Amino acid sequence: MSWIREGELNLIERLSANILKAGPVPKHVAFIMDGNRRFARKKHVDRQEGHSQGFNKLAETLRWCLQLDIPEVTVYAFSIENFNRSREEVDGLMELAKLKFLRLLDEREKLEKHGVCIRVLGDLTLLPLDLQQLIAKAVVATREHNRCFLNVCFAYTSRHEMANAVREMAWGVEQGLIKASDVSEALLSECLYSSNSPNPDLLIRTSGEVRLSDFLLWQTSHSCLVFQSVLWPEYSFWNLCDAVIQYQCNHASITKARELHQDEQRRQQLEADHACVAELLHHHGNGKPADAPRRQEAVTEYGVRREARVKDFLDALRNKRDSFLTELASQATVA
Amino acid sequence: MALVYELVWRLLHVLLHVHRTLATSVRALLRTWRGPAWRRALAALLTPAALAGFPGPGPGTGRRKLPPGEDEGERDRSRRRVRAEKLPLHVGLLVVEEPPSYTDVANLVVWCMAVGVSYVSVYDNHGVFRKNDTLLLEQIVRQQDRLGLDEPKYNVGFLSNGNTVHQDQIVPCQPVVKILSPEDGKHSIVQAALHLCRTVEQKERTSKDIDVPMFDALLRESKNIPDPELVVKFGPVDSTLGFLPWHIRLTEIVSLPSHIDVSYEDLLGALQRYATCEQRQGK
Repeated sequence: MSWIREGELNLIERLSANILKAGPVPKHVAFIMDGNRRFARKKHVDRQEGHSQGFNKLAETLRWCLQLDIPEVTVYAFSIENFNRSREEVDGLMELAKLKFLRLLDEREKLEKHGVCIRVLGDLTLLPLDLQQLIAKAVVATREHNRCFLNVCFAYTSRHEMANAVREMAWGVEQGLIKASDVSEALLSECLYSSNSPNPDLLIRTSGEVRLSDFLLWQTSHSCLVFQSVLWPEYSFWNLCDAVIQYQCNHASITKARELHQDEQRRQQLEADHACVAELLHHHGNGKPADAPRRQEAVTEYGVRREARVKDFLDALRNKRDSFLTELASQATVA
Repeated sequence: MALVYELVWRLLHVLLHVHRTLATSVRALLRTWRGPAWRRALAALLTPAALAGFPGPGPGTGRRKLPPGEDEGERDRSRRRVRAEKLPLHVGLLVVEEPPSYTDVANLVVWCMAVGVSYVSVYDNHGVFRKNDTLLLEQIVRQQDRLGLDEPKYNVGFLSNGNTVHQDQIVPCQPVVKILSPEDGKHSIVQAALHLCRTVEQKERTSKDIDVPMFDALLRESKNIPDPELVVKFGPVDSTLGFLPWHIRLTEIVSLPSHIDVSYEDLLGALQRYATCEQRQGK
């Protein structure tokens, strides 16, 4: 089955989509596609068949998202915790992933036509080397596309991602690119695997479970969470519409809460800059306290320099990540 | 055509709003007046199941509030019912509606502790409870006295003040109440990261030393509480609004429509819903 499902909505679906699009539509939706194995048990089919059907449903859901003008989707494909499953099931899932990424490479032209950019978020080094190379190749092949975005979380947990972001910042400190005092909420967000995406507006979990299971914990702290009882392979266009309606009902209050949080973040940054300047003046000043306008000027100046440092560091980080992928992808060509 | 779509969209949302308001008022009506079974059935019909972003609690929603001190037999039965099943060690009460009601939150805290929950944390995204913590504490003590619980006075701790208040009084089996604000969420993760980066700057550590267990231990050190197994969310917003992002990895999130006039049975419903959840830990 293919990554891109071409097809049109029927008349009623199209009408409903248009009605929904008259309101605010999420820019980014995250899915926890739960229930493949329960679906397989229910239908008395192989577990692997359940996972395959789940993938097909993903291709179909992506099409619905595009038809609803949702340009970005993130899915939880494989958690680091999933390595604890039986050897047989893990091997089966790795095999399925290999097939699907090979397929993706075959469909390069179609992806280009639709402008689909595919990113894989997670710790690739935990995967078998051939799968790592395939993933790198697929990501490198589509990274210039910019009409719609699919982020696949693979070998991912949110805690791992956050700890990794902290490690990257510590690396920046070691390299002398940033100072420890430059660490902030905004910088941590920029060091996550998801740094190229806006935070999801809507998170959907299927199959009736009501927890986040270590998925995008940082990014969804102000997202609309929708838990639906349908099993993932049975997900329908109407389930998606239902979730979007719930998002619309929540839109005003969540926007307000986000603004409140952003104000607080700005205040904290300013406070941090003030503290740094105070410390600098204390060390380098001539002992006399600076007057208010001079101090204000020093804070502004410090802010500009901090932003320049952070920018250099983020460029270096992006280069590091890009060259890791490019190198993996080129190994795949040789192999 | 676009105009027609917009009109229909507006109509749809007005209808949804009316449905929601209607359901809320019917629930409130039933709470003050325990009617016959058909009225409860009507309430169940009007409850916007499809609209509740979070799943509602199991059985026991929308019934009459249990007056404190009365009906002991019924309460004992309920307590036994919860105890027999899986009970969370740490419950988070997440209030996402305004205005906050101190009495109702105090009731919830006391009920949680009465059924045997060891840690209760209270959160709202404006930090209102944190700002007015003494008010909430007074209410908690008052509700405890009204309920006439024979258990010792509960410990109340605050996070982010460095250490907990009444540290010296902590007895291992005594329940602890924590009042949280957005500062305990992302902000505390950033503070821990800042601390680590400082130690790296001073060459006490290298970036390679940083991993999940180490970072988790660091966050726990400053928090001193286990991850919440259950968060009960009160209010119409379907979001956690910044509630402890690191700690809610495996937390079950159960939603109740409002904390205003919430009943003991509503809370029991949420606890029962938690007891039926199965955690597979990735398997």
